[in-house]
Amino acid sequence: MTSRPVTFLSRAEAILGTREAQSVDQGMRHLTEMRDVAVAEFPIMDALRDRARVIRLHALANLDRLLSHFADQVIEQGGEIHFAADAEEANEVVARILEATGSRLVVKSKSMVTEEIELNAHLERRGIEVVETDLGEFIVQLAGDTPSHIVTPIVHLDRHDIGALFAEKLGVVETVDPTELNQIARDHLRQIFLRADAGISGVNIAVAESGSVITVTNEGNGRLVTTAPRVHIALLGMERIVSRWEDASVILEVLARSATGQRLSTYTNVVTGPRRDADEDGPEQLHVVVIDNGRSQILGSDTAEILACIRCGACLNVCPVFRTVGGHAYGTVYSGPVGSVVTPGLLGMEPWWELPYASTLCGACEEICPIRIQIPSMLLKLRARAAAEGRLPGWLERGIRRYTTTVYTPTKWERAKRLAHWITGPISRDGWIRRLPGRGSGWTAYRDFPRPARESFNTWWRFNRGS
Amino acid sequence: MVATLPRPPAVPELLPDLEAVDVVGLFRTRAQGESVVVHGPVGRHGVPRAVAGIAAGHGCRAYMAWEDLPVPGVTSALTGAGVERVEHRVPNEMRIPHQTEYQGLDLGVTGADAGLAESGSLVLLHGEGRPRMASLIPEVHIAILDANLIERTLVHWAHRHPGLVFETANMVVVTGPSRTADIEQQVRLGVHGPRHLHVVLFR
Repeated sequence: MTSRPVTFLSRAEAILGTREAQSVDQGMRHLTEMRDVAVAEFPIMDALRDRARVIRLHALANLDRLLSHFADQVIEQGGEIHFAADAEEANEVVARILEATGSRLVVKSKSMVTEEIELNAHLERRGIEVVETDLGEFIVQLAGDTPSHIVTPIVHLDRHDIGALFAEKLGVVETVDPTELNQIARDHLRQIFLRADAGISGVNIAVAESGSVITVTNEGNGRLVTTAPRVHIALLGMERIVSRWEDASVILEVLARSATGQRLSTYTNVVTGPRRDADEDGPEQLHVVVIDNGRSQILGSDTAEILACIRCGACLNVCPVFRTVGGHAYGTVYSGPVGSVVTPGLLGMEPWWELPYASTLCGACEEICPIRIQIPSMLLKLRARAAAEGRLPGWLERGIRRYTTTVYTPTKWERAKRLAHWITGPISRDGWIRRLPGRGSGWTAYRDFPRPARESFNTWWRFNRGS
Repeated sequence: MVATLPRPPAVPELLPDLEAVDVVGLFRTRAQGESVVVHGPVGRHGVPRAVAGIAAGHGCRAYMAWEDLPVPGVTSALTGAGVERVEHRVPNEMRIPHQTEYQGLDLGVTGADAGLAESGSLVLLHGEGRPRMASLIPEVHIAILDANLIERTLVHWAHRHPGLVFETANMVVVTGPSRTADIEQQVRLGVHGPRHLHVVLFR
């Protein structure tokens, strides 16, 4: 992934207080409200979340065998399978398939993994035209921008931005009416769908038993991309798989509800091989590209559980940090809580060690996750890794070491507690510290801190309960 | 030799019982909530008239249909209503010119292999005589569904029909007409797929 090696804080500060930040916050609140309604309405949601977790962890624990079975089945159903160790290999495989099939115009439906490997840029260098068809991604492509959220990529743009963009790039009369904007996009893209040589899609979940790949969309572009052109290329991260169709159905039931509050996405498209002989339509060729690109490293690490993610985006929607700064602050395609674990895993700790610190550890992400992934504990593991690698600033490193020795030595600890009470006398009122000086003012801008008591609990206990 | 497939541990109470409901009623309520227009249930003989009525209501001129619709008489009713049938088979060689002709198509008529009450969804298994494009290209899609094929949820239906994925190169679960909320999180219908979805239920 190309990423911006500027710090998280500076990227975040650039966005704070802007209209983009406000759009993000409103958008995320809306999605979380919708999600809560959908979950409350569905009596078996919690049972299915528990089951989804079992299914995904089982898949990770048996990944090699599932992928092997999956590969055999793709071939059995008339498709071709390709395993790519990294981004370069994956891009090369796709480019060669397109060149071998004489494909010059390609339509694409949304796929995080293709953004991760920067597929579009690679294909464009080879003279292949790639058109994004997911409306948000189409707009991002037209604007030369990057998506700011994994599920709602243009939450940072409003109708004025889009109206101006369409007028400029598509030569249409400028409008800010969302219905007209949608119609413009529909008419423009329909021509392209029906003339494209190849369709490239992601995969929401793959099914090992049958070699099936499942994509979900609301717009219908996922269906058109995998039906109209002669060639369909489906790319997936190697972890996005379950054992059987029944298991996939559990994932599907929790996916849309968690993402947008819909019970199911409008189109759940299950593809098993290319068209069969007697079929009326459908692609002649199906190529499935399974991508590693750092996932096997994560699988062998203490953050392996993050690979159970089904990319619903709920953790982004609920995260107070994400709501405040939006997706661009995280610097790569995977943002929010999941991004904070996955990015250091895929791209290494330099400079991504910062991301696990972009969190208050409030735990909202774990609470909302349909797979119940334990994100906060993985953020802590990554922080420990960062500290062990000496990445913390010197003053913090020394401060924590001093704190640790103090806490572990009872006499020092007792003295420190008495000292804390006396020191905070001048800056507290009625037992509360309301304003800390200097950098501490950032903390007290939003919350008060109780003044440490004169008598510590240990002291009280010794007097009132004996030894 | 195909390797044996590892599968997650089976659990007895996987799908807890849901309170018994009238699945047809629930299907209607939920589908309507997704902007689907639900007709019936009518008797088998009422279906062709219902379909022709919907087509006339939208002013449709040309349609594409599955060969094996669940009841007879639909295509003649449409012809009677002045709607012309368009050939649907996409040959590999003439794919692009053939497909670009589809743009003028107003109507697609299909059957459905199941209904899912909880989400108001239809399940379509494509294949011989069943073009995918019929439920994808036209502005209006009419699906004819036997009310006895309505089940409660996707998970219940999937667990009751294992191995279904092997039967077809393309199975689609359709929940309402196509839509997007990408622009300012406001839902708008009719993006790349149909703008109008009608379900004609029959018994």
